[in-house]
Amino acid sequence: MMFRLTPLVLLLAGYGLTQPAAAQPWKFGQPLAVTEVQGDGIFHHLESAGRRNIAVAGDSVAISWEDNRNETPAIFFAHKSRQSEAFSKAIRISGKGEAYEPSLTALGEDRFAIAWEEAGRVHLRLSDGKQLGPILKLDVKQAGQTSLTAKGDTLLLVYAAADPNSRHRRVYLQQLDTDGLTLQTGNTCRVDPEPLKQAQLYPTVSKLPDRTVVAWEDRRHGHTIIMAAENRQPGTCRFDKPQRISEPLPGPRPPYGKGHGVTRVAMDRYGQDRVLAAWADKRNFREGYDIYASHYPARGDALFGSNQKVQDPFGGVAQQWHPSVAGSPSGQLVVAWDDSRDAQTNILLSWYTDGQWSDDLSVPGASGDHEQNHPSITLDRHGNLHLAWVERETVGGPTRLRYLFGKAASAGPE
Amino acid sequence: MRRILLILLSVLFVPAVWADAPKGYPFHAFDQAMNQAREQNKILFVYFGRYGCGYCEKTNKEAFSDDQVRQIYTDNYVLAYVDSESGKRLQLPSGERITEHEVGTRYNAFVTPVFTFMTPQGKPLKRLVGVQRIEDLLSAHEEVQAQTGNPS
Repeated sequence: MMFRLTPLVLLLAGYGLTQPAAAQPWKFGQPLAVTEVQGDGIFHHLESAGRRNIAVAGDSVAISWEDNRNETPAIFFAHKSRQSEAFSKAIRISGKGEAYEPSLTALGEDRFAIAWEEAGRVHLRLSDGKQLGPILKLDVKQAGQTSLTAKGDTLLLVYAAADPNSRHRRVYLQQLDTDGLTLQTGNTCRVDPEPLKQAQLYPTVSKLPDRTVVAWEDRRHGHTIIMAAENRQPGTCRFDKPQRISEPLPGPRPPYGKGHGVTRVAMDRYGQDRVLAAWADKRNFREGYDIYASHYPARGDALFGSNQKVQDPFGGVAQQWHPSVAGSPSGQLVVAWDDSRDAQTNILLSWYTDGQWSDDLSVPGASGDHEQNHPSITLDRHGNLHLAWVERETVGGPTRLRYLFGKAASAGPE
Repeated sequence: MRRILLILLSVLFVPAVWADAPKGYPFHAFDQAMNQAREQNKILFVYFGRYGCGYCEKTNKEAFSDDQVRQIYTDNYVLAYVDSESGKRLQLPSGERITEHEVGTRYNAFVTPVFTFMTPQGKPLKRLVGVQRIEDLLSAHEEVQAQTGNPS
């Protein structure tokens, strides 16, 4: 029986990876190097809470990452205009300390904001592509896992930091005002003001016209779950009681453990007032982590709706990690992740259309050869897709940082 | 006094609610264990678990509690524990700094627990996936020792 099934399975698996080109919302160009500084002993990392390492401001696309080109891990930033075929020289953003996990967001049409962890503190800085503003260091200890978003000239930063009343990390929101390339701190608050039972980690934030939504990993139930809270009172920093997003398994609780695992929620706004949260979820223990998602708002009192499996069935027992979410004001919505269903890890996409997730697309240029992983994606105002990711020839070997432009199929000629 | 007694009793008798490395074993962080394995030229035994992992808890209670398993694994291996969902940072011998979560993705810990025997250089020799019994751990030890030329 297994013998007879094998060709069918292979055929179906092949279909899952090779959709007709006409069905794809984007036409992809050739990958570009984000930085030429690479080679033995140099490791680039595209990691941040919410996987926000790429952003578009006006006609400029920027990427922020961490690498160890000078031995100590530091934060770098490079940018290019939409038409340019090359990125700027990498600009060092961080100071002298060990720096990790930069989060990047566009600030209007001509500025970018970067937040990162350096020597156990949260740091922020603005750039207009030509100049860097001064570094702002938050006076909070054991803080990191930053994630940024913006509305007008205001930045919203979420991060995890030591809770003074427990030995765990707690999620905080910090508002910041900007003036040119200068930052000034505003309101700050605990997203969940209740006493902590366990850690809150890797938060991310989305801003809607009249509310703010924050999601994070939470260990209060004895295993990791995804939780979220919303602020419906503009001008304040008060959040309603948080709710669980990642659903528990149905049926009786197993005799061992507390529940299944989840990791690293990513989130983005789409349409005028909707948000998608996506994460890696191990509810099917035979398949390992799969990519699941949930839409905000739900009906009734629930913040987020029922969970949806984003990847198609051909992911099977392969690994899926590192989901990144991009939405647009026109309602486009796409999730990218890395996936080992082929011989090596590739970048896959699924987009949301007519209330369903598409079949998975193995991204041309970000799949096929080498190890391709750790994607970060964003959509520009024209619906074009911008993708950054990490490429390695061998698992654990030196890395290259890559960028790919996907021109929206619905966009007219340039 | 009664309250203190109740607290003490709860601490003593409530079972562990999340699966860390099993008690009574010298498990180290992955990078420390790799360094130690290189210094001592010993095989690494890496336990990939996660917070709240049920099958880790079952394996801890039903297999790692065995005295023979404890003796053999403590004597013959450098032991490492990796929380596959953790953001704790490590520095690999290559110089790369990554989180425990990323160590888990790199070594394909897509379910937990996964137990991987590795050379001191980090090359996997044998992998055990899911719940393990006492005999599974003893048999894996024999196999790895034979594979590396140290039959017991």
